[in-house]
Amino acid sequence: MIDTFSRHRPLSLLAIVVLVQVLLLAFQIKRENNVRLVRYWAVELMTPLERAGTWTFSHVGGVWGGYVGLRNTRAENERLRSELDKLRLRTGELESRSAEAQRLSTLLNFHDAHPEAPMLAAQVIGASADPTSHTLFINRGERDRLRRNMGVITPDGVVGKIVEVFPSTAQVLLINDKDSGVGALFAVSRTHGVVRGSGDPEPHMEYVINEEKLQPGDVIVTSGEDRIFPKDLLIGTVGATKPGNPFQVISVQPAARLDRLEDVIVLLSLQELAPKKTEESSEAVGTARDGAQPPQSSAPAPKSAGIVTDPNKFKPPVAHVPSAAPANEAPKAKPAVPQQ
Amino acid sequence: MNIGGHSEPNIEVHKFYGGTVLGTCLLALVFQTFLHKYGRWSELIDLPLLVTIYFGVSRRNPVSGLFLGAGIGILQDALSHDNPIGMYGIAKTIVGYLASSVGARIDTEHPLSRFGLIFLFFHFHQAILALTQRVLLNHSAPLFTIHLFVDSLVTAGFGVILFALLDRLRKSS
Repeated sequence: MIDTFSRHRPLSLLAIVVLVQVLLLAFQIKRENNVRLVRYWAVELMTPLERAGTWTFSHVGGVWGGYVGLRNTRAENERLRSELDKLRLRTGELESRSAEAQRLSTLLNFHDAHPEAPMLAAQVIGASADPTSHTLFINRGERDRLRRNMGVITPDGVVGKIVEVFPSTAQVLLINDKDSGVGALFAVSRTHGVVRGSGDPEPHMEYVINEEKLQPGDVIVTSGEDRIFPKDLLIGTVGATKPGNPFQVISVQPAARLDRLEDVIVLLSLQELAPKKTEESSEAVGTARDGAQPPQSSAPAPKSAGIVTDPNKFKPPVAHVPSAAPANEAPKAKPAVPQQ
Repeated sequence: MNIGGHSEPNIEVHKFYGGTVLGTCLLALVFQTFLHKYGRWSELIDLPLLVTIYFGVSRRNPVSGLFLGAGIGILQDALSHDNPIGMYGIAKTIVGYLASSVGARIDTEHPLSRFGLIFLFFHFHQAILALTQRVLLNHSAPLFTIHLFVDSLVTAGFGVILFALLDRLRKSS
């Protein structure tokens, strides 16, 4: 460098002297916005360098963060995966609890809506080993003062009845079992019949004459004649119908989801879940008695259940009868309810 | 073109009496400002440019030539009322350097060659000024006009006479 300067000394001096004077000019000259030229040049000179520096640092930082800084990523990834698995399990558990809480809330709401009716909540703990038998087991038994022929329902509708009672469990016969039968009537026309299991997922309603005009979706409720279920509990709706000999073949869509039962309610008495019970309807029930002992007579409601019986305050919980016929209207047909 | 190299051995280097260069330069600047008061005709002649060229080609030393040009140019800027310091300085620095380099290679004693040399340096000087103004001041300074052409002819003619007078200040070899 020094050697080059010595060899081209006059030219180097010329460059220096000119450069000094250019700088001198730059200090004096002002551009737009009263900015001195030397400052303008300095900014123009430094901006590309700053940009280059920024670009370099960002890329070096990117390389560092993308490669060098990933040394512990694998271990961290495994740790996060493990944590994610735990959280998934926890989420599943919470979702399960949430669903359970929702179910229990529904049951509680149902119970609160009918404080007059003695009832007991129970959990489904098992089902029948026989695929043709539609039964299940609940976690309540004789110790809980359960007795045979007590009705089992959900807030959605009728489930079945208790057929066997064990010390701590009970077996429930679902309404779609072929041995099951529930006294029923159409909510609008008040025509009576019997909902009987057929072995299929959907039970049938029997003893309804062919002249009866039915539409799919017609509501079917309990009639109370079987002395197991109170009157006007929702059983389901009419599915498909076809003429038969001598009665119609009516498929019933159960209101309760019989294939996904987890929590149920055991009715400890035949306390009707109706706002008012007329004398006539009571007589109708009385005439339909076939000797079966009412569950409430053999299984008094435990006081610990906190159940109050006041039929005058009760409103139908699940049987959404759009325009139910007057309670004192005589039923059009009263088939014999089979003993279950 | 090796314009910054060493002087040729067969080219004579003229020397001046002490204080001659400095006094002549100062006088040129004084006259330039003094004559300016008496009319625009004085603008036709650039006396500082002429002395820069003369001492450059006479002394034939690029280093002293560029410093002499720089000094004269900066003083000329300082004496003007609106020129930023350095405008004439840059132009005359380069002219002084080139004049010294050219003087070491060609004959600058003949009046015709002096006329041509002054004419060319005048336009070169104007070109540097215009370029500087365009680049640094954002002024649209013209590179060549008829007025400049006339100026260059007048300056070159006057320069031939001035150079002959200044030759008398040389030391006899």
